[in-house]
Amino acid sequence: MTKTYPKASRPSLDDVSVAIEKGEFVFFIGPSGSGKSTIIKLLLHEVAPSSGRVVVNGKDVTTMRSWRVPSFRRTIGCVFQDFRLLPNRTAYENVAFALEVIGKTKAVARRVVPEVLELVGLGGKEHRYPHELSGGEQQRVAVARAFVNRPLILLADEPTGNLDPDTSVEIMRLLDRINRTGTTVVMVTHDSNIVNQMRRRVIEIDTGRIVRDQARGVYG
Amino acid sequence: MRAKYVLSEVLVGLWRNVTMTVAMIITMAVSLTMVGASYIMYRQVGQMEEYYYAKLEVSIFLSPTVTEEQRLNLRSQLDGDPLVRAQDTVHETREMALENFKRIFSDAPDLVSAVTAQDLPESYRVKLKDPQQFEQVFNRYNGQPGIDQIVDQRRLLDKIFKILGAVQKLALVAATVMALAALMLVGNTIQVAAFNKRREVAVMKLVGASNWFIQSPFVLEAVFAGLFGSILAFLALVAAQFLLFQGSLQSLTELLTPVNWSTVWEAFGLMTGVGALVSAVTAWVTLRFYLRV
Repeated sequence: MTKTYPKASRPSLDDVSVAIEKGEFVFFIGPSGSGKSTIIKLLLHEVAPSSGRVVVNGKDVTTMRSWRVPSFRRTIGCVFQDFRLLPNRTAYENVAFALEVIGKTKAVARRVVPEVLELVGLGGKEHRYPHELSGGEQQRVAVARAFVNRPLILLADEPTGNLDPDTSVEIMRLLDRINRTGTTVVMVTHDSNIVNQMRRRVIEIDTGRIVRDQARGVYG
Repeated sequence: MRAKYVLSEVLVGLWRNVTMTVAMIITMAVSLTMVGASYIMYRQVGQMEEYYYAKLEVSIFLSPTVTEEQRLNLRSQLDGDPLVRAQDTVHETREMALENFKRIFSDAPDLVSAVTAQDLPESYRVKLKDPQQFEQVFNRYNGQPGIDQIVDQRRLLDKIFKILGAVQKLALVAATVMALAALMLVGNTIQVAAFNKRREVAVMKLVGASNWFIQSPFVLEAVFAGLFGSILAFLALVAAQFLLFQGSLQSLTELLTPVNWSTVWEAFGLMTGVGALVSAVTAWVTLRFYLRV
């Protein structure tokens, strides 16, 4: 699979081929501009590959009709470095929003949201606004929002990029716990400490090519 | 829940951007008023044509020196003419012409008393099966002995119809220009609205909200403006109906047939449809460019 952005002199991802099994925990590492984030975008169908195929959950994303994309995305949860919470909504409302906009009723939200907030360790802080929460807590809200639909895959684009090392470890524990429920976790990072601690599969990318794919790897 | 959510999003969206909303509604209203007025004029011309053409006559005025033989000859010619509705042909004698004259100029007794039957020409009032065929009838009878002149009332009306037609075209042009401005305003308002809600939209896309769910509040905002504009346009037309046709321009109504209320309602329907549809399509097209999946 190759992805070349328009106006780019070289492909962002050059003839990359990766298979990730259900339930795996995978790190994509590499320097800035190596093409790590492009992988997340490809998996979300935010961009299409220039050539080759992207298959997610047995569905070929490459040929997917645009009207099918929303229901496809409901099977994927997503967490980002900048949290992407809605500032004018409380933790509860942020998570409930993800349910309501895909047509779930308020009753469902009332049942599910406290559960998942409890799971991420935010019990008792449901009615705080994002600016009343620490960075780590905000990222927990984001994880709760990504996980509330019980997705098959959780994509995390540098989820610890804005957090201090201790908080990062807590977030990683959370992602690990989510992974143990059977959810595939794909995480893009250049946080070497975390990769070294987790000892999970590591795929290293440099200038668009895979240079290493190691089952219980370290940052190297 | 969904309907309530969408509705509150629409109202909040319109209010957050209230100056733009007002501008959008006003341009929409002006444009739709033009559309409605032009429709009413179109219907009016049609109605008047029907109304007047049924009554139109060709007047064949006889010369003062006409002989009895010429008169009878002309009559039998008219009765046998396939272009003429023979049963409606009326011979207006000088006395009848005087009666009509008195009736028409009853406001001016001086004039009436100065005129005698001998001053007025006698004539045949002829109705044509098809008013368009005046030229043929004219050519057939013009210049025959005993005929002074032949007058087609349609010519007089045609001038009025031409004026009405021109006004209608003008209104359509104005409507188009205003509509263009309204469309750009709608597009811009929707862009601003989408920008104001970019965080929400980004999250909705991410968690897999359907496209219509993301787009419908924006489209409905535009539709709401269109509907509101059409209501204002309707009120403008109703006001025009009262002020112009039943007020200062009432003297014209002797010439113009009155505008039916049913026509005004039809115009309202048209304006509502056009306003809502056009703004919905504009909003939708704007979003296609602005909110790529």
